[in-house]
Amino acid sequence: MDAIRVHGLTKRYGDHVAVDGISFEVHEGEAFGILGPNGAGKTTTLEMIEGLRRPDAGEIELLGRPVWPDPRAIQSRIGVALQTTSLFEKLTSRELLVLFARFYNRSDGAERAARTLELVGLESKAESFAGDMSGGQQQRLAIALALVHDPDVVFLDEPTTGLDPQARRNLWDVIRAINDEAGKTVVLTTHYLEEAEQLCDRVAIMDEARIIALETPARLIASLGADVRISYTQDGREHVSYEHDAQTAVLETLEQARRSGSQIEGLSVRGPSLEDVFLKLTGREFRE
Amino acid sequence: MNLGRIGATTVAQLKMMVRRRIVLFWSLVFPIILMTLLGLLFGRSIDAGTITVIDTAHTPASSAMVRALRSTKGVTVKLDEKDVAHARNQVKDGDRDALVVLSSPGGSVIGPRGTLAKLYFSNASATQSGILKGVVSGIASRVSAAAAGGSPAIAYTQYSVDSSSLDYADFLLPGIIALSVMISAVIGLSTVLVAWRKRGVLRRLKLTPMPLWEFLVSRIAASLALALLQLAVLIAFGAIVFGIHISSTAWAAVPVVLAGALCFLVMGFTVGSLVSEPETADAVTNVITNPMMFLSGTFFPVSAMPGFVQTIAKALPLYYMANGLRDTIVRNQGLVHVLPDLGVLLAVTGALAVVSLRTFRWE
Repeated sequence: MDAIRVHGLTKRYGDHVAVDGISFEVHEGEAFGILGPNGAGKTTTLEMIEGLRRPDAGEIELLGRPVWPDPRAIQSRIGVALQTTSLFEKLTSRELLVLFARFYNRSDGAERAARTLELVGLESKAESFAGDMSGGQQQRLAIALALVHDPDVVFLDEPTTGLDPQARRNLWDVIRAINDEAGKTVVLTTHYLEEAEQLCDRVAIMDEARIIALETPARLIASLGADVRISYTQDGREHVSYEHDAQTAVLETLEQARRSGSQIEGLSVRGPSLEDVFLKLTGREFRE
Repeated sequence: MNLGRIGATTVAQLKMMVRRRIVLFWSLVFPIILMTLLGLLFGRSIDAGTITVIDTAHTPASSAMVRALRSTKGVTVKLDEKDVAHARNQVKDGDRDALVVLSSPGGSVIGPRGTLAKLYFSNASATQSGILKGVVSGIASRVSAAAAGGSPAIAYTQYSVDSSSLDYADFLLPGIIALSVMISAVIGLSTVLVAWRKRGVLRRLKLTPMPLWEFLVSRIAASLALALLQLAVLIAFGAIVFGIHISSTAWAAVPVVLAGALCFLVMGFTVGSLVSEPETADAVTNVITNPMMFLSGTFFPVSAMPGFVQTIAKALPLYYMANGLRDTIVRNQGLVHVLPDLGVLLAVTGALAVVSLRTFRWE
């Protein structure tokens, strides 16, 4: 069963095509990632599915219902954490959650607030003003607000952007808990390759308004047909190659350099990642 | 429409407002400071001043009262034997700040041995006469209470030496209330609207099933509650600190404050609809509120201004709000009398509402 079906989705701003006829499905219970550099069209795509932006063409079905022309119909079944997370600074986490539960006409706000705070690990900040919390805590609060009415599908737009590595890792645990323990379908956008690799069951790589690949991270990497990535600088020029046998490749490289009398610097051998997939698909480096 | 949800949201809005110190400053502290400064500036000094005391009663109570006045800090007592008319003129001319006449005329109210205390004051120095009224009446009742006996030892009355008119403080208070309600409403709603839009709060709310107009209505309800709080606090401040006599019709100030606040909230909403940057909102609201503050008879009577300024004043909603508040709070006029002011305020509200609803955008 698919939670989301998107077909031929297109959005233009004047001459600029922000999203160019993309199609994909998100399965129920899946953690689905839309990965791409800034300006690839990730947020626009998400906002059309959420019902914030009207598409110029294409269909979106969410939980079996078309989102447009009446996006309000599915609102109580989705939860959204937008990129801009600053909310009402002078309300406490608990007050905000109770208020949002109220927006959804849920009367058991206090109970829901407590449960959601626990899920995102913010119990100790229940009485803190939203404006007084750290970036990571505010982000967790934004996710809690997306969850308080117990939606089926949760959208997280660049949930870890601007967070330090530690806060990012903590947030990953929260997102895993939402997906695994609470069993929600999670759709997230990110421009962090590692994040997509770590969190997502399947990843759609977006570049210049199109989806250029859609697979599990493991299969995407396997599609490179290599076990290792070797990179080094030789005479000031960068070399990257994908190989099966690390030992043979490294020895050959060094041997060839020794024979030609040139200098090898910064030799690095590691397993391939989504970064390499992006490089291979677009011919460009992925810049985070 | 969901009244329970609007109610809960209104409570949250109120919390958000009163937890911001800047909101409390502009709505309550600033008007109190302004009232105090202007009150003191147009009175003469914070010293209560010099009073003439004429004691023709020579009762134990009158002597006790003279002693008490003499020992009061900030009050200089000059005992006088001359006639009352002369002393009253001194007060009128500003040579003395007040006159206390203690007499024992006999009669049924105060009894044969009772003392009559009369205070004569001038409205020219509003602060001083305000303070002196408080001091003398306080001492009179204290001495009266201390004396044993069935009938009160001292009967206190106070008279203005001026022809009947408003104290400056009396005049000022309703103006300050109108002004502070206007500032809170216009600046409060315009800046918060721009900030919500800029920070994506409205977008986020659009993703909930609550209609956004409910959210706005709750904000307006919370702002109206704040306006009523301003009215209550400032009236209490004026009555206690400046001894302003509050008319029994003051309850009729409630609809005037609500209509005025609504008018200025819609004005703030209009500004918030038209501009997109918080700094611009600030500048625009200043351009709107500052001239209104000085041209609408909040600090000085419009009648004292040149003719063309009077014409401008009568085109400004703040004029009608200040006027309506003055009539009800200190001029003893009822609701019927201020219906024209209410009408103007609601008409302006309606006109601005039409404009703002056409220009409003959520993003």
